[in-house]
Amino acid sequence: MARSVVERIATIAPARWMLLGHSMGGKIATVVAARTLRGETPLFGLAGVVLVASSPPSPEPMDEGRRLAMQGWAGAGAVSELHARSFVLADLADSDAADHDALPRPELDRATDDVHRANPEAWRAWLDRGSQEDWSVAVSGSDFKSPLPVPALILAGAADGDLDADAQRRLTAPHFAHAEVREIADAAHLIPIEQPAALAAEVRRFWRERAGLGPTVPSDFGRVLASARTTSRTRAALAARALADDPDYAPTVLDTEQLGRLRLLADHLVPQPGPAIDLAARVDAQLATGVGDGWRPADAPSDPEAYRRGLDALADWARIPDADARGEALDRLGDGDLEAWLEDAAVDLARQWLAHPATMALIGFDGVATGGDTGRQSGFAELRADRAESWEPLPDPAVSSPGVQPPGITNGASRSTTEAEA
Amino acid sequence: MRLDHQRTYSDDEIADVVVVGTGAGGAPLLASLAAHGLRVVALEAGDNTEPRDHTPDEMLAAQQINWMDDRLSGGADATAFGPNNSGRGVGGSMLHWGAFAPRPDARDLRLRGESGVGRDWPIAHAELTRWIEQVERFVGISGPERYPWDPSRRYEMPPVARNASSTAMLRGAEALGITATDGPVAVATRDRDQEHWGLRHACVNAGTCHQGCRTGAKVTMDTSYLPLAVARGAEIRAGAMVVDIETDARGRVSAVVYRRDGELRRQRTAALVLAAGGVETPRLLLHTGLANGSGQVGRNFLAHGATQVWGRYDEDMRAYRGYPSSIITEDLLRPSDADFAGGYLIQSLGVQPQTLATTLARGGGLRGAELMRWMRDYRHLAGVGINAECLPGDDNRLTLSDEIAADGLPRVRVDFSAGENEKRLRAHAIRTMVALVEAAGARETIVLDRTAHTIGTARMGSDPGDSVVDAEGRSWEVPNLWICDNSVFPSALAANPALTIMALSLRTADALRRSAGR
Repeated sequence: MARSVVERIATIAPARWMLLGHSMGGKIATVVAARTLRGETPLFGLAGVVLVASSPPSPEPMDEGRRLAMQGWAGAGAVSELHARSFVLADLADSDAADHDALPRPELDRATDDVHRANPEAWRAWLDRGSQEDWSVAVSGSDFKSPLPVPALILAGAADGDLDADAQRRLTAPHFAHAEVREIADAAHLIPIEQPAALAAEVRRFWRERAGLGPTVPSDFGRVLASARTTSRTRAALAARALADDPDYAPTVLDTEQLGRLRLLADHLVPQPGPAIDLAARVDAQLATGVGDGWRPADAPSDPEAYRRGLDALADWARIPDADARGEALDRLGDGDLEAWLEDAAVDLARQWLAHPATMALIGFDGVATGGDTGRQSGFAELRADRAESWEPLPDPAVSSPGVQPPGITNGASRSTTEAEA
Repeated sequence: MRLDHQRTYSDDEIADVVVVGTGAGGAPLLASLAAHGLRVVALEAGDNTEPRDHTPDEMLAAQQINWMDDRLSGGADATAFGPNNSGRGVGGSMLHWGAFAPRPDARDLRLRGESGVGRDWPIAHAELTRWIEQVERFVGISGPERYPWDPSRRYEMPPVARNASSTAMLRGAEALGITATDGPVAVATRDRDQEHWGLRHACVNAGTCHQGCRTGAKVTMDTSYLPLAVARGAEIRAGAMVVDIETDARGRVSAVVYRRDGELRRQRTAALVLAAGGVETPRLLLHTGLANGSGQVGRNFLAHGATQVWGRYDEDMRAYRGYPSSIITEDLLRPSDADFAGGYLIQSLGVQPQTLATTLARGGGLRGAELMRWMRDYRHLAGVGINAECLPGDDNRLTLSDEIAADGLPRVRVDFSAGENEKRLRAHAIRTMVALVEAAGARETIVLDRTAHTIGTARMGSDPGDSVVDAEGRSWEVPNLWICDNSVFPSALAANPALTIMALSLRTADALRRSAGR
């Protein structure tokens, strides 16, 4: 099932998309997300996962008697209309809803009809296997060791017996590094038909405030990253970097004030033209890994300590209200004691900016799409100026033609670097 | 590379030779010694990889194949380590090297005799060339049909494909009357069967040499000399960081102490070769206090001037495509108007984006809007860069700091400041390169300073009071200790060092073998 979902998304190939799965569909969405984030699918641009009354990756908690009874419903052909109706009603917060007109009649009828029309083999397969299969380790490793980095919104019906918010927090949320579990009132398991407006509002909010933040990798560039030209390992790294930054990012190496100052500093050292990547948060995360760049000035402390000291020294600077004045003050600081560290910071921030696939697309760099997992490697056959190969995603030439100031970048103080120094 | 079928030796067995490092200095020697029946063990601090483990992603690549633990850099022109010049892994710095393979010029080996500064090599150019030719035959080099500065030279394979940066340099050079042509490059431009490894696919022009070659086209040690060594009975122990060297009562090396999987182990050996590169080799020597009677260990740190000039063109250059540095000129090895000793090579340049941004910020001092402007014009850029002679300076040296690194050894501190000769040479090179890039049609140019390579910290010589090893790479003081990497270079040479290191490796192997009576 996961495979057919992947194939379907691949034919649409949107630039940036979320996976939404309901019930058993949530389990499939989670598996598709895991494979995509590992670079194992020909997909790029996954931004978020919304799980609605989702089955967890582990076997779904289900009363054994009820499971056996439901299996029996499809023992000799289709599930009867009577059983289908009772199945749907049992999944509603208020099983009298139909009588009270709280649930529109057509929706209820359609849900009933869907169950009735279900292929009996598929119905039994869901109960026998699909709901029982354990995908936990495949999704996030043993003991949730590698939770998926994609932002996840997990919605639970307040009256969903086996899969309420507590169960979702316990069974589903630990598979994600950034999971938000929300309860939908007046709903049980069939949230999409019980509370469609509330569900839509939650999805919109999640996109606007979380998953849809930051720059988008254009679809033609994403298509190349999704293609067999790009190795799965490279695709996985780029997929993780393309994810929106957590607006509530809690710094590891820096404190909150230092992080705020680094964000301000990033606006000056690496001013981004469009929707911003949280470069400061990414540098903090990089510092936390302990992997440096191979050297540091002899009189400087370790990188984390240099950042802390440097940002503490910028406390007054950060209070300068006017951006231009701040820029000028920074140029002066750059010629003083902070020079070496500011150079390091500029390099670290710029590297994080360029590591994002949307930046690669912006500057027209598709060289990361070389390689391939099998056979002969893909490189470039066309190396001449002003020529490109048919597979290449071509950015708008007007964007970066020489001498054209890209939008959103203001003129700051610039050094003359074009003179030959004799 | 495949290590699962290799012969293994126990720590208590006395190996004939232990080699520390598996790069250009260690690998050819290892293969040569093993082929002569010596029982050899290589200790490599980094991990073992296959070509297909590499990725064009600059961030992932650096963490996989570069030495990313901090070195401390001092001096007016502090050296950038890490991806710039320091490798790690089975194959050493050859995993990330640029594959530019010029031969050293005869005049560079006699720099002191010619100009009174620097040092002469205690090796005749003709002899060194014979070893170089042996390396070239084994690994396969591509180059032009006729090499203008040495018409007798022949290269096995046709040159690598030219990219937009190549044609720009050729255009600029021609306008200035400078001879330039396809360079000697250690990249297979045809499928090439490599003995004991397999079929190296012809270069596909991915442009990611510095991130690790996935096709096997680029010459690396894990696809050439190391498989040969293993086939001849050598053992390569990956993830083995050497932390100490033990000596016997006579002062000879008796064992090497290394850490592997968190455990301290001791390999006994009859002889030791240090081939850990211009930083880690002197670090081990200073840490153990061995072979430093002359006081020269860590001194004479040399870094090639590697200043670049980039031009912004109207055309969509996208010079990240293809082999990055295909064009060479040797015309500037001894410029007629030089006010400095030695000279420099110029090569064409393409670059990956993170590397360029790093150089723009560090070597060009760019920040903010200017940095973004150049990066937004990335596809319109093409460059040229030099590899230049460097003279030793009293203050340019490697020492041990008080700080202990994660590997348990003191961190090194490397001080480097360009001297008067380097400054004059740089000014000359900038004039030449700016003129060339402008003649090629660039609208705007930018000068980016940088240095490359780590050289000279355990130099060879003919005077025991002035050098660490003799002309064959053998320690003056510890007779069963040999050094074989760029730390033994008496002078920097304008040619990029890898080819010369591999040649010295075969040469030292030959001397060591003869001294062992094999």
